[in-house]
Amino acid sequence: MQFEWIQIPYALLTLFIVINYGLIMNALVAKIGARVGRRHGIPIYQNYFDLIKNYGLRSSITHGVMFYLGPVFRLSGGVGLLLFVPTIYGSVMFSNFSFSGDLILALYFIFFGTLGMALGAAESGHPHAAMGISRGLSQVTMAELPLTLAVFSIALQYQTLSVTDIVAAQQGSILNWTLFTNPIAVAAAMLSFLGSVMRPPFDVVLAPQEIPIGPPTEYHSSYLALMQTNRVIYPTAKMVIFMSLFFGGATSWPIFFLKIFLIYMFAVFVGVVFPRFRVEQSIRWFLIWAVPLGILSVLLV
Amino acid sequence: MVNAIFIIVIGLGTAFLLGLLRETWRHTAYAVMLAALAVMAWIAVRWLLFFAVDGAAPVDILTAGTAPPFAINLRLGITEAVLMVLVIVCGLLSAVYMKESLLRLGRRAMSVLLVFIMALCGIIMTRDLFNLFVFFELVVIATAGLILLSENKQALTAGFKYLIISQMVSIFLLIGIIFTYHTTGTLNIDGMAGTSADMLKGAGSLAFFLMLMAVLIEAKPFPANGWALDIYESAHPAFSALFSAAMAGAAAVYAVDKLLLITGPEWLPAVTAIGLISFVAANLLALAQSSDRRTLGYSSVGQVGLILVVIGQRDILGDQYLYIAGGILLSHAIAKAGLYWISGLLSQRDLTAWSALRGHPLLIFAFISFIAMLSGLPPFPSFYAKWELFMALAVEGRLWIMGFILFGALLEASYLFRWFGYILKRETAEEHKDAQILSLAPHKLVVILTAVVVGWGLAYVWGEISVYSNLLYALPLLFALSFVLLDWLPAWIKNTVVIAGMVAYFVVTYPLYDPLQLIFAVIFLLGGAVIFLASYHAHGRRIGFYPSAMLMFAGLSMLIVAEDSFHFFAAWEFLTIGSYFLIIRGKHSEPHALSYLVFSLGGAFLILAGFVVAAQGVQLFNLESLSQVAAPLAPWVFLLLAIGFMTKTAVMGLHIWLPGAHAEAETDVSPMVSGILLKAGLFGIMILLMNMGKQQLYGVELTYIMLWIGALSAFLGNLMAAFQEDAKRLLAYSSIGQMGYALFGLALMNQLGWMMAMMFVINHYIYKSMLFLSVGGVAKRTGTREMYQMGGLIALMPLSFIAVLIGIIAVSGVPPLSGFGGRWIFYNAIMSSEYRLPMILIFLSGPIAFLYLFRLIHTIFLGQLKDEHRKLKEAPFWILLPQMIYVAALMVFALVPGLALRKVDAYLNPFFTDHGLNWEGLTITSDYGYWSPVSIMIVIAVIFGVLFAWLLFVNRKAQKVKQFNIVYSAERPFRPETTHFAWNFYAPYRKAMGFLMQPLVTRFWAAVTDLLHTLADLVRRFYTGNGQTYAIQLLAFVIIVYLFKMEF
Amino acid sequence: MVTIAMLTGFILILMGLYGALTNHNILRMIVSFSVANTGVNIVLVAVGYIHGRTAPILNEAVPAAEAAARIIDPVPQALVLTAIVIGLGITTLMLAYAYKLYEMKGSLDISKFSELKW
Repeated sequence: MQFEWIQIPYALLTLFIVINYGLIMNALVAKIGARVGRRHGIPIYQNYFDLIKNYGLRSSITHGVMFYLGPVFRLSGGVGLLLFVPTIYGSVMFSNFSFSGDLILALYFIFFGTLGMALGAAESGHPHAAMGISRGLSQVTMAELPLTLAVFSIALQYQTLSVTDIVAAQQGSILNWTLFTNPIAVAAAMLSFLGSVMRPPFDVVLAPQEIPIGPPTEYHSSYLALMQTNRVIYPTAKMVIFMSLFFGGATSWPIFFLKIFLIYMFAVFVGVVFPRFRVEQSIRWFLIWAVPLGILSVLLV
Repeated sequence: MVNAIFIIVIGLGTAFLLGLLRETWRHTAYAVMLAALAVMAWIAVRWLLFFAVDGAAPVDILTAGTAPPFAINLRLGITEAVLMVLVIVCGLLSAVYMKESLLRLGRRAMSVLLVFIMALCGIIMTRDLFNLFVFFELVVIATAGLILLSENKQALTAGFKYLIISQMVSIFLLIGIIFTYHTTGTLNIDGMAGTSADMLKGAGSLAFFLMLMAVLIEAKPFPANGWALDIYESAHPAFSALFSAAMAGAAAVYAVDKLLLITGPEWLPAVTAIGLISFVAANLLALAQSSDRRTLGYSSVGQVGLILVVIGQRDILGDQYLYIAGGILLSHAIAKAGLYWISGLLSQRDLTAWSALRGHPLLIFAFISFIAMLSGLPPFPSFYAKWELFMALAVEGRLWIMGFILFGALLEASYLFRWFGYILKRETAEEHKDAQILSLAPHKLVVILTAVVVGWGLAYVWGEISVYSNLLYALPLLFALSFVLLDWLPAWIKNTVVIAGMVAYFVVTYPLYDPLQLIFAVIFLLGGAVIFLASYHAHGRRIGFYPSAMLMFAGLSMLIVAEDSFHFFAAWEFLTIGSYFLIIRGKHSEPHALSYLVFSLGGAFLILAGFVVAAQGVQLFNLESLSQVAAPLAPWVFLLLAIGFMTKTAVMGLHIWLPGAHAEAETDVSPMVSGILLKAGLFGIMILLMNMGKQQLYGVELTYIMLWIGALSAFLGNLMAAFQEDAKRLLAYSSIGQMGYALFGLALMNQLGWMMAMMFVINHYIYKSMLFLSVGGVAKRTGTREMYQMGGLIALMPLSFIAVLIGIIAVSGVPPLSGFGGRWIFYNAIMSSEYRLPMILIFLSGPIAFLYLFRLIHTIFLGQLKDEHRKLKEAPFWILLPQMIYVAALMVFALVPGLALRKVDAYLNPFFTDHGLNWEGLTITSDYGYWSPVSIMIVIAVIFGVLFAWLLFVNRKAQKVKQFNIVYSAERPFRPETTHFAWNFYAPYRKAMGFLMQPLVTRFWAAVTDLLHTLADLVRRFYTGNGQTYAIQLLAFVIIVYLFKMEF
Repeated sequence: MVTIAMLTGFILILMGLYGALTNHNILRMIVSFSVANTGVNIVLVAVGYIHGRTAPILNEAVPAAEAAARIIDPVPQALVLTAIVIGLGITTLMLAYAYKLYEMKGSLDISKFSELKW
């Protein structure tokens, strides 16, 4: 694959679709959650309003250069992650900038935003920000491990690190999906997924009530807007990877929408059922339940 | 040529002549004595030159005009000549040194000294047993007199103990001699050797045994040597020097050597065993000593034991016998005499009192030279000698002997270098503060410096006659040594010379390197030069820094081009010692430098063992020949070498030296020993793996174990780094982790694994040097290394912050910086590996790296600025400059890794079965995936740039708010200390994973050292100080040796 | 004759050694060593003689060419004298030391002089 200028508008188009989809899906999920709790919930367009409002606000406050850069890092991480992975299989239009690197690039680029965000939040000097980061990083060390193992397992299974090739190998029948050809790896990865979507029981990083909203404590107005944008792009971008690796990828946008929604709903279901873990509890949980699955998947493949 | 008997005649005659002088003419008597010694020395030197230069055959000197066996004959060959030169010159120097004491006691003392020297020469030259006895008794009488030169009242008791022992010895000797005579019918040693072996069976054997024991005891073997230690401790240091260097170390051991001619090889194993036990035990006991002279005494016993081992092994040493024995003997003699002479300058007897030498670079240089000679470090004769000795032992499969010698040598090096640490680091004890501990008399200094010069001269001579090229001709080493002479120059001039020299050397040697070596050469030489830029910040002369640093770099640069095992090992020793001297320069690094040295030397000894076992007697053993080592030996060789090299890369289990050593080192030293020195270990492992490949031991694949070790190091190193409060310690632990990755890559044994390791080699050099410099600069300004005491420094030290930021992004492996390349290659490498389990640990350690990296940047630069730091300035320019160079280098390397790696990839291709990478165009492809650094960089830069510009635009009016303008639990914080969340940053993580942090390894090594020290302290109580007990011990020793001999 | 001398010699040596190793008094130790030395000297004289050989006089009976195998080397016997002299020297030296040691501590007990140890 080579770069052509036309890919830039194509990529922007992907971005536009994903943002809109993310905004609606987030609201929908919130609404579902509220209904389950016998509340009315937010209107479906609420997230649009919030975002536009925050973009419209002008701040005259900054805590320093890194504080400034934090949200930039964060959103760059989300957008980059989305664009380094082909969104729709078989579509030249929506294969984005995946010529830059393979699966490993995506896996490591996940941390780009996290790191920048952590740095920015830390410069605010707010102890809650630092505390949240401390918790988040601690949790991520163990939560990421099953995913990494699962990825290694399926890379071994398909003998490639290219996302496109992995999706290609799953085409034809639903039984070709990794979900069926390597169920243990998928199980490990999905447990790991729970740890990275900032939902209960693994949302101690933001931990409302306990440490008022963690790393983003000091962020407001357009800084917050950037982060909110990321909040809609980043989980989707991550789920694109899950979808491509484990669930056959998507050959068209409707399938894409459906699969992403279902993957997300998995985390939502778990989240509404379980209470929140403390950090050391969640580390132990991943260590005991998810990591062995991951190891098994690597050994059995 | 003057007849050598005049040595004895002059000695004896002058001794009598002195008796005729008037008691008051002390200076005349002194001059006459010196003149006599000088003439004796001259005669001996003439003969030495005659033998050494002209290659003459040994001559017999007949007495009473008759040939043996009717008269006593003396023999003079090159051995005798060397030993006599040693004895007489040592005597002459000691006489000069003892000037005051001799003048005080008058001509009688001088006569006794002459008789002592004369008798020693007699022992060396005589071929007659009875004559041997007479000379020994003369030595005893003279010793009993000379001991009293000491100002220590206890010398009297030591002398008496010696007399008791010598009574026993003379009984044994006489009975032995007469019965041996009875069976063989002659008193002549050569005559006895000529008689048939049968004659020395039964009673004859017992007689010979008694004789041998008597002479052996004069060589003071453990444990029949309590008296000797007391003499060493209490006698005048110049006499102790003589007693150790000339009496025990030369005359007594040569007498043993002569006696052994009689029976041929029969008694050699016994002598070996006695020597070996002495060597190990004495060095062990020395660990528990606190008195300097007694320590030297133990060391002396040990060294003589080592010489006895060589004598005991002479049946396998062949032509090399004299070269080996001489190398060890002369090194010991010079070093021990020199150290005793230095001890005479000090008025306190505690080892720590030697800190008075600090501030006298010349004396410190002398001390270093002496302990290097004792420890068998290059380029001294003992180094060549030990190498040859081990070669011979390995050929014969006498590996146990080699193992014990190496163990003893390690013990010896530990207490010698611990002592060196005292000199550099210990404060003088409170009660002695005012007292003048050190008195520098010019004539004593001349004596000491003569010893130093002779030592280095012998180093040259031994290099010349060795089969290898002389180490002293190596250009890098000469460059390093020249800084000893240039040390009076200001630091910045030396620094300029150093940088120019290193760059020039690189340019000159550039064509010599293959692509793999080139990478290391660039890191070692050019990389070193970049770090030296930071050294410009130091003012004054920085005495000792440049010789040490250059010694390390000399070792490094010799290491990469070394072709045979000898030069490789010599280079390895150079870099070890040089880096030790560098590390110990840190303010609090005394214990850490010691543990570094002990581990490094331990590792080096394993490497030595590995090489000699592999070589099987081939002297110029090419490193490539490692691949031809045969099956039963190969895995063991592999094991020895691998553990040796892994000590240097500080793998888990052998890592405990690293954190302290790297953290306590000076600002510009930390990057040298971390960024550069650790690569030497990796280079060694590469050489090893490239030549030996996969080896199996008892069905276990050794590279597989290495894989686990690497993974474990990566994991635990990272984990421990996350819990450090000290910034430099954090970086040090991180190095353990990084080296673990690299080791892992190498142990994968496929081309991509090696590429990954190369990636880590380059990256680790760049970012770890950079981080150590930044953190060092910050620590310099804040005056602390504890991170929680810092905070909010971003605005004050922006450039240091940028360096750390770039550094941590690179270390963590997040795209787009170069660390990602390493991770990408890693995934490709493990795809083609047959192993899966060790990867789990590596996967886990990746995210853990984030913990410590974030902590590093957060607690130092972000968060809350402390009040006392509000006026800090940015780090010094010279410390920043290399950091900025590294930032640029990281960027370039991130964009075009092929620049450095492409050629290595091609070079490695023939060694492995799998494919390397495809470097065509901008995208790097492997069998499994692809990676385009440039596109990644552009995509990220564009997204980042657009968002940043937009944010700048909308928030163009934003102002920086004050420090405490934050929303915090409904109140406004005001104290940075309570608001800066930093200490015990990962408390929850500690709760979850803390169980892995038990310092098991540290405890293990602490237990080992404790055990050794306790053992030493217990065993030394065996020397009760009672002369009678010593006599009983002697008797028991003789009986036990006899029983053992009968048993086997 | 030779046997008796040798036996006496060895008994004296053993007695001397026993005395030197069991008596704590320095003077007694010195005396014991003298006894042992005497024993050694007797043994020297006894053993220096080799059965079946002749006196070291080179004449027609003993041609110089065969001398080495046929005569008794006079050196060992003569050297007994040297041994005696040396023994005397060392005994004197020990006595002198004993005197000095007594001056130092006011005691002749060997176990009192054990400051130098370990």
